[in-house]
Amino acid sequence: MFSLYKKELQSYFYSPLAYIISAIFLLIFSLSFITWITNLTSLSLRFSFSAIFYSQFFYFIFLIPALTMKTFAEERRAGTEVLLMSTPLNVFKIVMGKFLAASTVYLLIMVLTFVYPIIALLYGNVVWSSLICGYIGFFVWGVACIAIGILMSSFTENQIIAAILGEAAMIFLLFIDSFNEIDMIKRTPVLSTIFSAISPKARFADFASGIFSLSDLIFYISFIAVILCFTMISIEKRRWSRG
Amino acid sequence: MIEIKNLTKKYGNITAVNDISFTVNKNEILGFLGPNGAGKSTTMNMIVGYLPITSGKILVDGKDITTNSNEVKKMIGYLPEIPPVYLDMKVIEYLNFVAGIKGVEKKQRERQVARALSRLKITDMKKRLIKNLSKGYRQRVGFAQALIGDPKILILDEPTVGLDPNQTLEVRNLINSLKKDHTIIFSSHILQEVSAVCDRIVIIDKGKIKAIDTTENLSKLNSEHITYVIKIGGNKARVKKALSVVEGVKSIEIDDVAAHEVYEYIINVESEEVRKDLLHAISKGDFELMEIKQHKLSLEEIFASITKEETEQTSEKSVELSK
Repeated sequence: MFSLYKKELQSYFYSPLAYIISAIFLLIFSLSFITWITNLTSLSLRFSFSAIFYSQFFYFIFLIPALTMKTFAEERRAGTEVLLMSTPLNVFKIVMGKFLAASTVYLLIMVLTFVYPIIALLYGNVVWSSLICGYIGFFVWGVACIAIGILMSSFTENQIIAAILGEAAMIFLLFIDSFNEIDMIKRTPVLSTIFSAISPKARFADFASGIFSLSDLIFYISFIAVILCFTMISIEKRRWSRG
Repeated sequence: MIEIKNLTKKYGNITAVNDISFTVNKNEILGFLGPNGAGKSTTMNMIVGYLPITSGKILVDGKDITTNSNEVKKMIGYLPEIPPVYLDMKVIEYLNFVAGIKGVEKKQRERQVARALSRLKITDMKKRLIKNLSKGYRQRVGFAQALIGDPKILILDEPTVGLDPNQTLEVRNLINSLKKDHTIIFSSHILQEVSAVCDRIVIIDKGKIKAIDTTENLSKLNSEHITYVIKIGGNKARVKKALSVVEGVKSIEIDDVAAHEVYEYIINVESEEVRKDLLHAISKGDFELMEIKQHKLSLEEIFASITKEETEQTSEKSVELSK
């Protein structure tokens, strides 16, 4: 599995895609950073990274499907899936290898954003606990998005469709607790409980405001596990109905 | 070494492979022959463990592909129709990667990769990006991948398609040299290639096996169809009459030739001895013998007749059904 992981990681760095995504990511982050800092003079609120995080994730999750779209779509299209499947590698190792590689790239992008807390540290105080908490939430939510992106990529041979499905999934999950506002849903308490329970946004909000809740963390981890299982099932199913 | 028993593959209502059975012996080169869409690639994908089987059994060295899939996969090197190469990798990176996923021990990897590169004569290309290689070279990289891990069995799906004549010859020589240490299944729709390299041939069409035999035996079918093509000058009707009374003549076809009163007679005979009597009949009738050729049924024609029979039968059936 390590060979696969290494190869996937290398291929992210050979193509311009990862660099472009990192650039856009950092651009959005820095714009947000700058806006908040300049606004400080007019508002009497203390500046905090949590506010940035909370408004950030809205944008960055749309970048993630672009990162993951080629994971499985390209394999099937280029005919290399048969290579992976004709070796002792099983589906679990294949999915994990790709997932870990994508998560590593995401981690690296995130590490690049550390430059902002460092700048903040030079000019003032940084509340470390809430910062670290925010970053954990940032990371975990991003990795969950990566899992979804990989799942979408396993549905199709076409990278663009994989990206579009990923974006649609992001939007859906983002607004899932807003669905609770719909009257029809309000009337069925079962549905509204489910929706608020699985809303990643609500849970992320906790991390962003500096609250480290174990149940939130477990939510994300189990979410990721479930999505990866679905991905494995999707790959197997493709194999069975290949025609 | 490989036993295929009653193998069937269905996609919904479509049967791609219909109850086929054959064996491949150790250190044998088996040719898998058939027109496009016959089911060759499907069968190969099943042997390799990529496609699930609908029914039947595949035993490789006694082990079942469905229950012992990892063990079986370790024994097989596969070159699919489209070489499974990653365009954004360099040749040597790709082969190292393949060595890794096939579970080759770290110490062995370098040696195996180097050996695969030299066997396919692509050592000079090892630092090149696969995207920048021509089709022929990509095919060679794909073949090199199949050799990694030193598998006992090689399954090659149309390994020479897209190669120029020189490369084709090299690949053929390579396959011959691999024979002593490997068992090989090699598919093609170029008969000449198959008959040049293979010990035995399996002919498949529309998912069914049409013939399994040694190359020699299939070529012997030649002797059952002896045809002479004779250009004779003279009155068509009289020539035909004179020829048809010769003992051993099975059929006569007449073709026009761009010359006055000269025709080409395509005569199907029972045996080679009939030729003497034919020549005798021609000189007795005072006809002008211009050219005589013997036409041996080529493997192409044998193949065409074997695979055509079924088509005629099925088209008859479909005519009946539509009535």
